[in-house]
Amino acid sequence: MALLEVRNVTKQFGGLTALNDVSFAVKPGEIRGLIGPNGAGKSTMFKTIAGFYTPTRGDILFSGTNIAGSTAYANAARGVVRTFQETTLFQEMSVFENVLVGCHLRARSGVFSALLGMDRDKRREAETRTAEVLEFMGLAGRRDQLAKELPLGSQRALAIAVALAATPKLLLMDEPFAGMNPEETEHMMGLTRKVRSSGVTIVLVEHDMRAVMGLCEYITVLNFGSVLAQGTPAEVRNNDRVIEAYLGGA
Amino acid sequence: MEIILQTCVNALVASAFFALMAVGLVLIFGVMGIINFAHGELYMVGAYLVWYFYASLRWPFLVAVLAAFLIVTVIGLLMERTLFRPMRDNPLGGLINSIGLLFILQVLAVQVGGVGLMKNVPPAYRGSLELLPGVAIGNQRLVALVIAAALLVCIWYFLTRTKVGWALRAVAQDRDAAALQGINIDRISMLAMGLGAGMAGMAGALIAPLTRVEPYMGHGVIITAFIVTIVGGIGSLSGAVLAAVLYAFFHTFVTTYWNGTIATMLGLLIMLVVLIVKPTGIMGTRVSE
Amino acid sequence: MKAAKLAIPSLVALAVFMVALPFGLKLHQQDFMISLLVWVLVVSSYRLMALTGEYSLVHVVLMGAGAYGSALLAKLAGFSVWLAMPCGALVAAGIAALLSFPLFRMSGFYFLIGSFAAGEAIRLSWTYFTVPFGGPKGIKLIPSPELTLPGLGPIPFFEPIPYYYLTLIIVGISLFILYRLENSRIGLIMNAIHWRAPLAESVGVDTWRYRALAFVIASFFAGLAGALFCHYYGTANPAQFDVAAMVYVLIWVIVGGVSRFAGPIVGVVVLSVLNELFREAEQWRPLIYGCILIAAMFYLPDGLVGLPGRIRAWLDGRRGVAAAETGEAAEEPADLASPRRR
Ligand SMILES: Nc1ncnc2c1ncn2[C@@H]1O[C@H](COP(=O)(O)OP(=O)(O)OP(=O)(O)O)[C@@H](O)[C@H]1O
Ligand SMILES: [Mg+2]
Repeated sequence: MALLEVRNVTKQFGGLTALNDVSFAVKPGEIRGLIGPNGAGKSTMFKTIAGFYTPTRGDILFSGTNIAGSTAYANAARGVVRTFQETTLFQEMSVFENVLVGCHLRARSGVFSALLGMDRDKRREAETRTAEVLEFMGLAGRRDQLAKELPLGSQRALAIAVALAATPKLLLMDEPFAGMNPEETEHMMGLTRKVRSSGVTIVLVEHDMRAVMGLCEYITVLNFGSVLAQGTPAEVRNNDRVIEAYLGGA
Repeated sequence: MEIILQTCVNALVASAFFALMAVGLVLIFGVMGIINFAHGELYMVGAYLVWYFYASLRWPFLVAVLAAFLIVTVIGLLMERTLFRPMRDNPLGGLINSIGLLFILQVLAVQVGGVGLMKNVPPAYRGSLELLPGVAIGNQRLVALVIAAALLVCIWYFLTRTKVGWALRAVAQDRDAAALQGINIDRISMLAMGLGAGMAGMAGALIAPLTRVEPYMGHGVIITAFIVTIVGGIGSLSGAVLAAVLYAFFHTFVTTYWNGTIATMLGLLIMLVVLIVKPTGIMGTRVSE
Repeated sequence: MKAAKLAIPSLVALAVFMVALPFGLKLHQQDFMISLLVWVLVVSSYRLMALTGEYSLVHVVLMGAGAYGSALLAKLAGFSVWLAMPCGALVAAGIAALLSFPLFRMSGFYFLIGSFAAGEAIRLSWTYFTVPFGGPKGIKLIPSPELTLPGLGPIPFFEPIPYYYLTLIIVGISLFILYRLENSRIGLIMNAIHWRAPLAESVGVDTWRYRALAFVIASFFAGLAGALFCHYYGTANPAQFDVAAMVYVLIWVIVGGVSRFAGPIVGVVVLSVLNELFREAEQWRPLIYGCILIAAMFYLPDGLVGLPGRIRAWLDGRRGVAAAETGEAAEEPADLASPRRR
């Protein structure tokens, strides 16, 4: 069964149709590419899946449950976590605290237990998890730096670390390689593969074609809010309509 | 029946004042993103100036009103330059500065106006115009109504029919886009602030003979202006005028037939309901980015 | 590092000072100390709210709700004052809980204005309903607490010194709770919401809930402060909790600096003591406050608590040390809406 199934989703902003009857399905364990020219509706798709937007029409099935119109925090609890296109971090908080917030779902406790220190076990668990994630993402050495003081590459890594801390089943990554040099991209691609092998299904929005083609087994192409093509990287690369959309857009 | 008609006439006069205050507030908020908490104090200063020029120095009433209007406009321009412009990227900072100014103006009013708080401004136009048997409008009110309405029409003409007015509305809609088009944001901000302040000053100047002039008279007015602004949809000039009329009628009738405190309380509740049902804040639309 | 080592001795010193203080003071100064302590609690609870990034204008009205609640329970329902005070605080918290439904559909300016409207409406209802709120004159002759200690007899809580100690204890405990809360995981989440609500939401934080939680807890302590206030001064009326009072709270918080726990406390203490020293200039007080507020906006973006860091940075700069190396100085000036958990 598909882990994520998007069924005939339409999203309109006033008169503008950002997504038009989009359907696709993602199998567990996949790294799926979602590509398309600027303004194609990729980020809107992510926000709709993650619960930041309610679709105008259509269903979004996650493990068989319809989560269309559910809230972002409830979706996070189900295991759907997104990252943001623009680097989004708690800028004035330390790297460690950033990831600790990501552990919210497992550290959650009541006011009184937090006050009386009765949440110690949970807190310790969250801190252990935070340390693990930082180690995993290669950020352990920077744990006490403020997020805003990190170089761009590390900020990107931190953003993914925050998402990972929430133990996603499905991770929606919005342009994680934007603005990176080839080395950083290579490094981040390695990390992405590592995340997938830890059992997380990934959907990746990215303009860097080399990265997308290198990482994804299967690619969905959006154009003007509609699915233009789907297939393996080789199929997509040789698809005339895709070539035209990209050339026409550029 | 006469009472109802008379109340309508009173409400009409109130509408004009509410609209003067609210439109100014909306202009300032629209262009600069700042809620000017000192707006009520600009109104108060306008009233004090009329008291000073007209009641003390015995200038002709209309000259005193004009002088008050101009002076408060200048105060507005100064506010923009000194208090708001440096806070352009921090609208909350602008709001805080306006609160600081509010206190300063209140104390100055107390000091300038003497320790006896209230000032009486004798009416310049006595007598009244009988519209129908039993329904009259005092001449002083009539003059105020006419001037306020004329000013509103001028502002409306200016905003919709002139190039500068168009630029001002463009800035209110999207400041960055307007800046890209080469509109001078600094100048437009000063313009908005000058106009907004001038209108508040004018409202205060016109009301001076009709009310008690005292340092804290701005407080009730700012609440009214907030209610009108929010109900009209903050950022919408025509909304502000419409809401001013509706709220003036509502408030005048509830006050006449029931109680003034209740009227304000209900107004605040209406405002809350509007904020809830049509919140333009981030939380309301769930567009969390 | 150094600061942490100094913290405990300086806290102990502060405690000793606070305990010894009233004996050196005149009667009106003792009165002043009681009200200062009450306002310390009000501004500190306000900071909890500010931690989530929202600035409310209903805080002082909720303080009043605590005062009215406690006073009415003690006078009309015959509650013991000891019970009435926490119940008053609960009344404030309960009103905040109800208000959180409409108010947290808004944020930023809309929240500010919405909370202002809610507060004004509540305050007008005190003015309007003579029964039970007493109208504009409010409630008078509110009883003070009674306690008889074996061997000591009844403690005269209507006198300043005993009431000062009572207030000191309650405010001290409350500050401790607020401080712990801020430094707990819950405080972390609240602050995270301030910085990036969508990010917090994307990892499972129900932001509405935490905003509401901060609001309710802050209001509880504001209500408690109100209760403490009214059982000493014996009155509760709408004018005590008006917009001007709210604005003073805002000024104390901002001038003190919202970026640290101590900031608002420093603000209220410094400004109130200054005010007490220049009592003859009472009528100039708002003007002076207005000027200080504006000056703080321009020259002290992190408030008085940020001042030592700035001075150090300035001195270092003069000595030719690169400011960037001194950690503290490199801190970018927090804009007003940037409370940090520190
Ligand atoms: N909140 C919104 N309100 C109105 N229109 C929106 C909103 N969000 C997105 N849009 C519009 O929807 C369309 C799709 O935007 P989206 O951000 O999803 O594109 P994208 O594929 O992510 O592009 P990019 O590659 O540049 O990130 C665009 O035309 C955009 O202007
Ligand atoms: Mg995008």
